[in-house]
Amino acid sequence: MIVLFTILALLLGLAYGLSGLELPLLTFFSQHTDLVLYLLMFSVGISVGMHRGLFRKIREYHIRIFIIPFGIILGSLVGGLVCAAIFHLPLGQGAAIASGMGWYSLAGATISQIGGSELGSVAFLSNLMREIFSFIIIPIVAIKLNYYTCIAPAGATSEDTTLPVMLKYTNEETVVLSVLNGIICSFFVPILISLCFTTP
Amino acid sequence: MDILLVMCLGILVGRFLFPQKAKRWNEGASLLCTLVLIFSMGAMLGRKEGFFHQLLTLGAQSFLFFLIPTVLSIVVVYILTKRFMKHPNQDEKEEEA
Repeated sequence: MIVLFTILALLLGLAYGLSGLELPLLTFFSQHTDLVLYLLMFSVGISVGMHRGLFRKIREYHIRIFIIPFGIILGSLVGGLVCAAIFHLPLGQGAAIASGMGWYSLAGATISQIGGSELGSVAFLSNLMREIFSFIIIPIVAIKLNYYTCIAPAGATSEDTTLPVMLKYTNEETVVLSVLNGIICSFFVPILISLCFTTP
Repeated sequence: MDILLVMCLGILVGRFLFPQKAKRWNEGASLLCTLVLIFSMGAMLGRKEGFFHQLLTLGAQSFLFFLIPTVLSIVVVYILTKRFMKHPNQDEKEEEA
């Protein structure tokens, strides 16, 4: 159900944007997404805080907390290299596009500046698709694979927009790992994009 | 970093102040915020000049640039977590549902 709502919200948003209408309330929200994001994070924090004994469990992971971001970064980079080979692009450019890990605004803007508007558009669209399709993929992965793996499609977005889906289909422990993963991946996105572009 | 601080504040509220019976309201608030964010993203894209043209011309290439890295991330994380991490009790969630 949440997936349907999500798709509906996206379509309504697209229609609103295309229509050129300026309804005060909707315009206010669409121009103050940072406030909505803070509200969302506060609400997610409440959910996490209500779960007793959670942080003891997280402490038990110790260094293994880096396993998920490491896997996501590795998978994304290798995927970018494969795509580069398919489309006959320099390997560094392919890896840079995939290094966005769902952070479409940053990846699109940065790659546009470094590699031109066409490459920037591919980075923007592919990372946008990663975020949107995550809403559909996460519930399937939760059923077919395991809760931890639900964090993988979300990549760098696992700390914000895809978090409520995570909360709905996994558990509080995975949600905390998801936030940590999002922070780590987001930290590495600009670094990886720059590094990949300096690689031939 | 701000996001992390706000979340920490939420954790404290959830741990010490928030009533258990309001849990459903909080879940509703999370969902509502998400939908507003997604709506805003759609509105932003709808306003972006040439977005649909970009989607048509670079769509297939972008789709593969989304699909292959995402699938490989899933595969690598699945293998690593299966090998190195304890599995959260999925039955717990199923019971809750």
